[in-house]
Amino acid sequence: MRQMIEATELTKNYGNVAAVNGISFSVMEGELFGLLGPNGSGKTTMIRMLTGQVRPTAGSARVMGLDPAEDPIGVRQLIGIVPEQETPPSFLTAEEYLHFVARIRNLDRIDERCDRWFDLLGFQEKRDVLCKDLSRGTRQKLMVAQAFLHEPRLVLIDEPLINLDPIVQRTVKDFLQEYVRDGGTVLISTHILEIAEEICDRVGVLHDGKLLYCGQTEGLAGPGRSLERSFLDLVRGDAGA
Amino acid sequence: MPVPDLFSAMMKEEWRIHATIFGSAGFAFFPVVVAIFAFAGSLALPLFSDTLPSTAMAMLALAFFLLAGVMVGSFGTMGREFMNRRFGQASLVAYASRSLPLSERRIFATFIVKDTVYYILLYVLPAAAGFTAAAPFIALDPIWGLRAFVSLALAFLIGLSAVCLLSTLYARSIGLLAGTVVVLAGAGLAALGMNAVFPPYAFLIDPAPGSLALSLILILVPAAASVLLVTVDYPDRTKRFTNRFEPLAERLCPLGSAHFIAKDALDLSRSEGGAGKVIFSFILPLGLVWVCLRILIRFIPGIDPLVVFAILLGVISATIYNWLTEFDSFTSYAFLPVEVSAVIDGKLKSYAIANLLPVAVLVLAAASAGGAGSLLPALAAFLSVSVYTLAVTVYLCGLSPNIMLYHAWVFLRYVLMISPALLLLIFASLLDPAYAFGSLFLVPAAGLLIARARSKWQAWDMPGY
Repeated sequence: MRQMIEATELTKNYGNVAAVNGISFSVMEGELFGLLGPNGSGKTTMIRMLTGQVRPTAGSARVMGLDPAEDPIGVRQLIGIVPEQETPPSFLTAEEYLHFVARIRNLDRIDERCDRWFDLLGFQEKRDVLCKDLSRGTRQKLMVAQAFLHEPRLVLIDEPLINLDPIVQRTVKDFLQEYVRDGGTVLISTHILEIAEEICDRVGVLHDGKLLYCGQTEGLAGPGRSLERSFLDLVRGDAGA
Repeated sequence: MPVPDLFSAMMKEEWRIHATIFGSAGFAFFPVVVAIFAFAGSLALPLFSDTLPSTAMAMLALAFFLLAGVMVGSFGTMGREFMNRRFGQASLVAYASRSLPLSERRIFATFIVKDTVYYILLYVLPAAAGFTAAAPFIALDPIWGLRAFVSLALAFLIGLSAVCLLSTLYARSIGLLAGTVVVLAGAGLAALGMNAVFPPYAFLIDPAPGSLALSLILILVPAAASVLLVTVDYPDRTKRFTNRFEPLAERLCPLGSAHFIAKDALDLSRSEGGAGKVIFSFILPLGLVWVCLRILIRFIPGIDPLVVFAILLGVISATIYNWLTEFDSFTSYAFLPVEVSAVIDGKLKSYAIANLLPVAVLVLAAASAGGAGSLLPALAAFLSVSVYTLAVTVYLCGLSPNIMLYHAWVFLRYVLMISPALLLLIFASLLDPAYAFGSLFLVPAAGLLIARARSKWQAWDMPGY
């Protein structure tokens, strides 16, 4: 198994604030890795550094063998990204948006790819609706679809199940697990512990820009303790330290 | 909610929209920059007195503020989708009638009052203050500052209320709008024929109650009519479209950046306002400029109105870039394998295509004014100024001109980069229209700025998704 993501002492400062503070970890091929942490812990900044959207203040990263700071477009060509907040362009329909992304990525068989995702995530009937008129959940489905449209081997997802109804949450979780079983690799960031507990092989716990734990998901909980209890102890312990 | 509370909430909201983007200080200094420019411009007035009579300069200043009123009014009544895109589904007070027990009429009336107060404080008062401060240095009684303030405010409000009325009519029926525009244009031409004077100008020259009353009628009647006739349409039916993007992108393939151009075209054609945006923020200001130039000919016999119109058309055409960027930001592409410079290239190509509209306007103006002889220098001036103004805008504002130009420092640089070239061109063309070909020197400068804009925005650390 090869390393798909390798972060070494990654640091990002905004003024005097260290959003990410010297974090090292790696994600192996075929893994579903979860970055856990409360709001403002540095998860999104970490994803943005790994995808070349911001340059690290210090440290380095390799994503599928490329340095995202040096070759951000190369990295984004290879991987898929589902951002937390971005909404697709207002005045394209869902289908047109996927075509737009497909053209940016120089993809063939666009209609076939679109159909697959409309069917899988169950929003075929919304394909001709303007993105601005889509519900938040459907927009999130669309953002998931655009990230997987080119069938990447690695996908980074910021808060993957936010805004999705329970039925689609189940579909996405099942899909992610199947995708990983087929050799794909996923890094998700979330503050919802149940998601990590259910689908992640390994997790990293971030708090105030520092990595407090990195290892097997079961290892975080420990025998006889819930993941939530262990997480809270870890984070509160760090805050009190 | 009582009207004063509604007004206060709208004022706070307007301030915070700008202040949250570039900080309170960055926005608070905007009026200071306006005052500094007004002060500097006023000090320079004696330099131009040989070429331009002071009465013509006063008329130009009033026309400028009339235009500002038109532009503010058109954005205020059509900017909802822009706000939604920038700030998520914006829950602005102006759209509160859906969720709060407030009538649309009351909200709209308060909105007009808010725009009046807010933009008088932002533009008119600082401009008048700058002029007043300069008055002693150019041998003018400072009382002229007060007269200037009142007449500039009147001119601004006439523009604002006229657009409020026209946009209200547009929301009801395009036919109603077209009919009103024809009637107003006829009345305007008749007034010109009778040598009638623009009431705020009359007030400036002689502050008599009659011209003040006439100005107020021109403000209050359209404003009241727009409040009475206002209708807000909340479409409850989701719009559906067949895939027009793919065939359009296919057809545009030879141009390169086809997907970006196709997206811009669909954004523009499907967004709120649509034709209204073109009418209110482009055709109407251009009509105003054309009328002003026709008046100016009376004062400066040697002027070639087509060339001066072309230069101003070049500046106004740069607002097309605002339409093209209204629903975009660099962060929208941050998770896709696309360079910032590729996004900029797409916008430039969309802009080039959209510029066929002002070129058509220029040709029409030449045909109607019988100015075919100066069409070539006019075209050169238009294209150069349009490209240069666009380049300055892209360099300073990236994909956010609608917001960034309210940042005091950005605005200062914008004016300093554009106005000297513009003034030089206008004065050169007054001497001889053929000098307008000199504007071509702006093209390499524009190329340099675009190149620098590419690297500047490429290196920009995006603030977030």
